[in-house]
Amino acid sequence: MIDAKFYTADGFTDTLPGICAFKKEAEGKLRELFRLYGYRQIETPGIEYLDIYSRPGFVPEQNLYKMTDQKGRLLALRYDGTIPAARYAAGIKDFDQASLPLRLCYVENMFRFADSGGGKQNEFTQAGVELMGADGADADAEVIALAIKSALTAGIKDLQISVGQVRLFDGIARQLGLDEANKELIRDAISSRDTVTIEKTCDKLGLDTDGKNLLLMLPDAQGTYDIIDAFRSKVTDKEANEALDNLKDILDALDEQGFLKYVSVDSGLLGGSVDYYTGVIFKGYTYEVGFPIISGGRYDNTVAVFGRQMGCVGFSLSLTLTITALLRQGVSMEETPCDAIIGFAAGCRGKAYEEAQKLRDQGQSAILDTTAKSKTELEAYASAQGIKKVIYVDGGAN
Amino acid sequence: MLTIALSKGRLAEKAIMLLENAGYDCTAAKDESRKLILEDEKAGLRFIMAKPADVPTYVEYGAADIGFVGKDTLLEEGRDLYEVADLGFGKCRMCVAGPVDLKDGKLDLIPNKRIATKYPNITRSYFEGVKKESVEIIKLNGSIELAPLIGLADCIVDIVESGRTLKENGLDVIETVADISARVVVNRVSMKMKSSEIKPMVEKIKEQVALL
Repeated sequence: MIDAKFYTADGFTDTLPGICAFKKEAEGKLRELFRLYGYRQIETPGIEYLDIYSRPGFVPEQNLYKMTDQKGRLLALRYDGTIPAARYAAGIKDFDQASLPLRLCYVENMFRFADSGGGKQNEFTQAGVELMGADGADADAEVIALAIKSALTAGIKDLQISVGQVRLFDGIARQLGLDEANKELIRDAISSRDTVTIEKTCDKLGLDTDGKNLLLMLPDAQGTYDIIDAFRSKVTDKEANEALDNLKDILDALDEQGFLKYVSVDSGLLGGSVDYYTGVIFKGYTYEVGFPIISGGRYDNTVAVFGRQMGCVGFSLSLTLTITALLRQGVSMEETPCDAIIGFAAGCRGKAYEEAQKLRDQGQSAILDTTAKSKTELEAYASAQGIKKVIYVDGGAN
Repeated sequence: MLTIALSKGRLAEKAIMLLENAGYDCTAAKDESRKLILEDEKAGLRFIMAKPADVPTYVEYGAADIGFVGKDTLLEEGRDLYEVADLGFGKCRMCVAGPVDLKDGKLDLIPNKRIATKYPNITRSYFEGVKKESVEIIKLNGSIELAPLIGLADCIVDIVESGRTLKENGLDVIETVADISARVVVNRVSMKMKSSEIKPMVEKIKEQVALL
C-alpha cells in the first residue's frame, strides 16, 4: 500500500469548503452578468478531437492533455473556451447569417500542461464570452466592458486593463519594409519588452532613426488617447491607421460607459503563444498575482479554419487566479455557519423533522442532529461550530 | 514596496552598486548575514537572495517584481518575463566547444553527436531549432570540459569567458550559440500595477549602464 496515491495529481488541487462556496457563488453571479448582456450559455464537451486544437497557431501540442478513443483517435481535454466555440459556430446546421451576431458564454474548467516546473495549476476555471459574427469597435468595446464588469463582479477592486492592437504592429512592419523573419524576431522582442534586440535588429537592417524610434515606441508606450496621437503622427501605413482608429473608437465607447479609468493602451501587447488574435488584444491585471487574470481579443480567422468566415471577439477571466488574488489581498472566504441545529429526544423525531423543514422553507439552513446529542451537548456543539440557533425537541415546551 | 530578486555573488554586487549609483538606498542588501529576505521599509525595497537559476521563476510568478539575472539563465529557463535592460556586465558567450580537431566544420560531420552541458534546453533548441539535427544531450552539473576529454561526449555547450579552461584542456570554441550578459527582468503584472515605481527604476538603471 506504500505506493497508493492518496494525494491529488501533479498540477491539480482541491478547492476547499469556504473557498469553494465563494467560487460557486461567483460563478453564479458571472453567469447572471452574461445573461443580462444577452449571452447564451453553452457547454462544449470536456474532450475534443486533438485536431481542433492542433491547427497552426492555436495551441502548442505539448500543452494539451491527450488521450485516445477506442478507435485510437487522438483526443484532448478542454484547453480553452474559444476554439470549441469556433468549432461549434462553424458547424451550425441551420445557420442563418441574419441571426448573427452569436453571443455565447461559458464557465468551465480548462486543462493545460502549463509549466514543466510545477506550481501552476493544470486545471482552472475560466468564465468567458464569445461575440461571434460581429466586426468593429462597438463589438470590441462590449467585450472589454464585460471583461471589466466580470472582474468587478468577482470581487476585484484594483483592476487594470491593457489594450493593444495586433494590426498596429503589422502595419508598422509593412511601413518599414520588414521581411517575415525579422518581423517575427522584432514581434517577440516587443512582446518581452526587449529593447536591446529591437535596437540590434534595426541596426543590422540599416533602418533610419525614425523607423527605429517607431519600433522602440511600441514596447514602451502606455497611456490612452495620447499614445494614439503619438503614433498617428508617425505611421503612414493604412492598416496601422485603421488599428489606431479602432483603438480610439474602443476608448470612446468605454469612456461613455465610465470604464476608461480601468483602461490603458499598451502598444506592446501583441499576443503570445496563442497567436490567433487578429485585431484588438487585451489583458487584465490586479495586485498579488503574477499573471494576468483576464485575456481576450479579436480573432477573425479562427472560425474560418473550421469552414465559416466570421469576425469574432471574446475574453476569459480566470476565476482560479482571481480567487488567489482576492485571498492574498485579504478577502475573507470563511463560510457562514449553518443557521440552526435541531436535536431531539427519543420519540420526537417526527416533530424535529417538521421543525427543520419549517426553517428550510424559510430559506434558513438547518442541520438535524443524527448523533442523539443531549440538549447540553447540542448547545456546546452549536457554540463550537458558530451555529446561532439551537432547537431541542423533547415533546414538552422547548 | 518593490521586491528585487538577486543571486548572491558577483552579479548581485554589481547590481547593488548600479542601484546605489542610481540613487536607491541598498544598505539592506549589503547585510552579510545569512538572511534570505532583506527589507528596507524606508527605501521601499525588499531584496530576496535566490539561486541564480531560480531568479526568473520568482519573477515570473510575481513573488519578485524585478530580477537581476544572466542571459544564460533566461535562455535556459525560458520563462515568460519582460526583459527590459542589458546591464552590459557579466559578458561572455554560450558556445559549442570541443577538441581542436573538430573545428572548421568537422563537428558537423559527426552524426547523432553526444553533447555534455549544464544547459540542456539551450543545447536542444540550438541543435534542433537552428542546426536542424538530432543530438543526445548529457546533463552534467559542473566541470563540463571533462566530458569530451574522457569520451563521455563529443563536445560541450557551456559558457566561455576567457577560454582559458578550454585551452588548458586542449579544447576550443567551435561555434557561438549566443552572447550572454546580465539582464534586468520584470514581472508582466508588476510592470502594469507598479509601473510608477518600476519604470523610473529601469530608466535610472539604463542611465547608469550608459555611464559604465
